[in-house]
Amino acid sequence: MANLIIDNVVKRYGQTEVLKGINISIEAGEFLILVGPSGCGKSTLMNAIAGLEDVTEGRILIDNNDVTYANPKDRDIAMVFQSYALYPNMTVGQNISFGLEMRKVPKEDRDIEVARVAEMLQITHLLHRKPAQLSGGQRQRVAMGRALARRPQLYLFDEPLSNLDAKLRVEMRTEIKKLHQKLGTTIVYVTHDQIEAMTLADRIAVMKDGEVQQLGTPQEIYDNPTNLFVAGFMGSPAMNFIPTKVVETEKGLMLEINAAQKTLLPFPRQECLKSYVGQTIMLGLRPEMITEPQAHKEGDAFVVTTEIEVEVTEPMGADTMIITRIEDNEINCRSHPAYTAKPGENINMMFDTSKAVAFDQKTGVRIDAQ
Amino acid sequence: MPNTQAIQRKTTSVEKLLRVALYLVLISVAAIYLLPFVVMLITSLKDVEEIRTGTLLSLPASLHFDAWSKAWSSACTGSTCEGISPFFLNSFQIVVPAVIISTILGAINGYVISMWKFRGSDLFFAALLIGCFIPFQVILLPMARTLGWLGIANTTSGLVFVHVVYGVAFTTLFFRNFYQSVPSELVKAARLDGAGFFTIFYRIILPISTPIIVVTIIWQFTQIWNDFLFGVAFSGFDTQPVTVALNNLVNTSFGGKEYNVDMAAAIMAALPTLIVYVLAGKYFVRGLTAGAVKG
Amino acid sequence: MKTNAINSAPNKAQAGRPARLSLADWMPKIVMAPTVIVTLVCMYGYMIWTAVLSMTNSRMLPSYDFVGLSQYERLFNNDRWIVALTNLGIFGGLFILICLLLGVILAIFLDQKIRSEGAIRTIYLYPMAISFIVTGTAWKWLLNPTNGFEKLMVDMGFTDFTFDWLVNPDKVVYCLVIAAVWQASGFVMALFLAGLRGVDGDLIKAAQLDGANTFTTYRRIILPSLKPVFFSAMVILSHIAIKSFDLVAALTNGGPGYSSDLPANFMYAHTFTRSQIGLGSASAMVMLGCVLAILVPYLYSELRGERNA
Repeated sequence: MANLIIDNVVKRYGQTEVLKGINISIEAGEFLILVGPSGCGKSTLMNAIAGLEDVTEGRILIDNNDVTYANPKDRDIAMVFQSYALYPNMTVGQNISFGLEMRKVPKEDRDIEVARVAEMLQITHLLHRKPAQLSGGQRQRVAMGRALARRPQLYLFDEPLSNLDAKLRVEMRTEIKKLHQKLGTTIVYVTHDQIEAMTLADRIAVMKDGEVQQLGTPQEIYDNPTNLFVAGFMGSPAMNFIPTKVVETEKGLMLEINAAQKTLLPFPRQECLKSYVGQTIMLGLRPEMITEPQAHKEGDAFVVTTEIEVEVTEPMGADTMIITRIEDNEINCRSHPAYTAKPGENINMMFDTSKAVAFDQKTGVRIDAQ
Repeated sequence: MPNTQAIQRKTTSVEKLLRVALYLVLISVAAIYLLPFVVMLITSLKDVEEIRTGTLLSLPASLHFDAWSKAWSSACTGSTCEGISPFFLNSFQIVVPAVIISTILGAINGYVISMWKFRGSDLFFAALLIGCFIPFQVILLPMARTLGWLGIANTTSGLVFVHVVYGVAFTTLFFRNFYQSVPSELVKAARLDGAGFFTIFYRIILPISTPIIVVTIIWQFTQIWNDFLFGVAFSGFDTQPVTVALNNLVNTSFGGKEYNVDMAAAIMAALPTLIVYVLAGKYFVRGLTAGAVKG
Repeated sequence: MKTNAINSAPNKAQAGRPARLSLADWMPKIVMAPTVIVTLVCMYGYMIWTAVLSMTNSRMLPSYDFVGLSQYERLFNNDRWIVALTNLGIFGGLFILICLLLGVILAIFLDQKIRSEGAIRTIYLYPMAISFIVTGTAWKWLLNPTNGFEKLMVDMGFTDFTFDWLVNPDKVVYCLVIAAVWQASGFVMALFLAGLRGVDGDLIKAAQLDGANTFTTYRRIILPSLKPVFFSAMVILSHIAIKSFDLVAALTNGGPGYSSDLPANFMYAHTFTRSQIGLGSASAMVMLGCVLAILVPYLYSELRGERNA
């Protein structure tokens, strides 16, 4: 196992800067997830770590060795690709042992290693098949087997589950997590699926436009996003953004929203609102913080119940999403399935702002950062 | 919608008639396409007297193979009278090495252009692509001089060289377009596995290239076998390819015209490519369309 | 500790990157080099060489006495060249038009779920596997006025039937068209058939649900979507037409007189047999100009399309 340090890495193609100075460092055995919309530079960063693309500036260190200009084969890295990239002309067994063969591992040792990996991934019965004869899930396992056989210092996963159907994706996700727990490997994992990011990562780096927007544990990123982009990107359904006016009352600074009627919401971190009195800010509130009125929360400091107008309801089984609109922003509320209303009706909802966050409306920057 | 269905059902008899007409048209067109070859075959099996008295389509009273043996071994092609057999051999001596070399070069070039891009490789590919289209008349004379300097003018090696030089554009195009559809992750994975440039080519890329290799070989074989321009411009009397010899045979007029010999020689000259076409028509068509519509 | 590692390490990247000079990194360039050199020299270099020769008074051997554009002036005052160019216009125009028409129609006919389509397709396409020299030889016999097609018709009872195009200077160019269409129309058919098979099936279903009949579906939906195939076919065909040399050599040898010459034959005759290298080179350059006039707009639109895709 090795640590990985990405030190101020810049990548330019002619005039366009794809990576604008990336700094990430992860410990040995850590599971890092790079997440972001397509074109954010996450795949370029991945290729740079692997040595498949040269970086323009900066350094990459694996196990404290500078490998910035080392050849891919000298970096002791294995990679699992979205398309799996299994060698079509080789059997599963040959696919797994190819990397060992290239490293001049003797035949007997290769066979032992292939058997070990195949057993771990339960693909022993597939060893003599060609990739074309495998299902998507089986190919995925072989691709992982190929990476595992070499026992590299660092594993790279480039959207490995994107080509699987929903059910298999969830299964393989759990399997990857188990594997990581068992082997304690260092992993860098690219995905655009924020659920994958939340469930798998030790830490997440949210990227956009070639920059790391935020680097932190999944819970940090979920609870304390540094800006509107991160807040909107992580979580499903996404965090609600409600334009609110900061007003001064005898109970201190409050946030005024235009639900079915004008309502004042309290906010925990008063000081940071001071310079915004009279102005509009973006209030960030997760859907699960707008619920049906709950008796046990009644009277809490940051809880307010008010009427909203129901636009659409989306039953999801465990709970029902109620969608309303506040000043042209669609707002998702998560309510108990028994608590429903017809479109067009007004119902009471409970707004809990104890975990709410606030952003500057223009810059999108968090204004109540702790 | 139910309305149109009803109409369609009513018109089934008309439709049947249309289909019969369609088949008639298709089959008569096929007959027209076949006609020249049938006439060639019939004519080659007649004797001179039958040709003079009969028509194109009148069948020979009995089969005469004299014209075939004469065309093969004793008909006059310009200065010699040894039939087209020596030239047939020349053609093979030109075609086989030229096809092999140009296919290998094309495979490697295509591999580099699609998997190992470097600064300028795309530009070069564009330059090569235009090269597929230039009329060879603009290079004939300089090439003739060059062959002279290289000391391979009027030799089969000279013709091999010329065919390789001007065939590589096409073979590269074929392989490049094929490799374009091979996921680049395959090469990335192999590089991480520790394989180098040639190992990746030999162990991973080449084994999946069989279809395009077949297409390229057939295309090059047909092109080079059927070539006339380079053959007539760059060959000597005894190194002519069969197309040039055939043309000389047909245009040599000692005494009366022997159309049966002409036709027999023509069929022989066409036979290798026709056989390839019949055996591997699928790949032949793929080559034609690949050459035309770039992927 | 992590941050320490980053801060304490001096940034070596600016200090100059170690160039990877190992043989392996140069391999792609090394293996491409022969092709690059040969292409640059034998295509582009020779093109320039020919362009230079076309501005000299070279006759039997290349000379480098420059005479400006006077060879081009001679060329366009040369009756034989004008005939060759006119023939190219007639031959090329008819050849392309008929091939496209025939190709589209046959492709549509064959696309009607025809039984034994494979066999019929094979027959339509086989001429494309044959050399133009063989084609020329065969049609020379078929079109021959004494023993060929004419005699066949006369013997069938049409005693007044005459067909002497092959020896008629005004008509001989149409013989080239007939033979060339026979050879290449099947190829155009194959191109269009491949195009038809590539049309999105849902598109056709949608059109039929909208109430379009077969004819309308083809005219309004399918054929317009084959525009790229149409252009490719046109470029290939015009390319074949401009380069046509062997067909003329075998079918008419330019005759009667020089009435069926095409530019390619003019070029060859003047460069290699009539010791007029300067004039021949000028004609080659005009041919190149014709090809470029068709090719450049085509490639431009192709590349632009690729970028947009």
